[in-house]
Amino acid sequence: MDEFEQELRQAFARQPAPPSLKNRILRNRRSRAPQSHAHLWQRLAAVLVLTLLLSGGFAWHQRERQRKGEAARQQVLLALRITNHALNHMNQQLAAHGRANQK
Amino acid sequence: MKNRIITFIFAAAALSLPALAQATQLPAPSPIEKELAARASSVDEVTLDKNTLAFASSFMNGKDKDKAETRQLIDGLEGIYVRDYEFDKEGQFDTGQIEQLRKYYESAEWSSIVRERVRKTGESTDVMVKMANGKTVGMFILDVEPKEVSIVLILGPIRLEDLSKLKNISGLDSALGGVEFKTKDKKDGQQ
Repeated sequence: MDEFEQELRQAFARQPAPPSLKNRILRNRRSRAPQSHAHLWQRLAAVLVLTLLLSGGFAWHQRERQRKGEAARQQVLLALRITNHALNHMNQQLAAHGRANQK
Repeated sequence: MKNRIITFIFAAAALSLPALAQATQLPAPSPIEKELAARASSVDEVTLDKNTLAFASSFMNGKDKDKAETRQLIDGLEGIYVRDYEFDKEGQFDTGQIEQLRKYYESAEWSSIVRERVRKTGESTDVMVKMANGKTVGMFILDVEPKEVSIVLILGPIRLEDLSKLKNISGLDSALGGVEFKTKDKKDGQQ
């Protein structure tokens, strides 16, 4: 048990960092800094492209919906116009028939 | 026994579904329509189901009075089926074809409210309505002129009085003027 404690104490003992560590960390940071900058731009560009695609898709969908709605509205008006014409003709026939009966 | 009851319920539901669907379903075009379309110089065919009508109705909002009136007219309708065939010359169709057309759409549930015939010109108009619980749930118009045949089938709650509003909607009032309804019951016309 004493041996184990000894090993544990040695493992947890505070040791000074090797003198090269600070330089290594600084070097790493310097070399990585421009890379992360590029990453940021890439991300921004991706977000921009995605936003443009989404808004473009939404605008296209809205325009398409509007076009279909207008086409459906025109179809309704055409159907009502034909109905109106048929009823007008019926009315004319009935009026003519009424006049013929009066004579 | 329990299984038999369940089977019976499913069978009854399966049998009643097509009947329910048929009540509001727009008809398939009659073969005569194809013949007429082949000879016509101008063909207008409009088939609008409930969903399309609701979709079109959603584009008739706003402050425009005409749009609002049209919307009011089509709201609640189950479907509109319209065919209009115009011919360059007279005699491009015969009375037999018209009779076949009439028979195709005519069924026991439709009652005739206008039946007008002009033997001299061959013109005729039939207006039939379908009633359910004292309310009109369908209207059929077959209008025949010497050079034009129009078929109008409107399914859903519709009244002639509602259709009279058509004359107030700008763009719909034809050169013939507005519609004033003077319908006669079971009229045989000038035969």
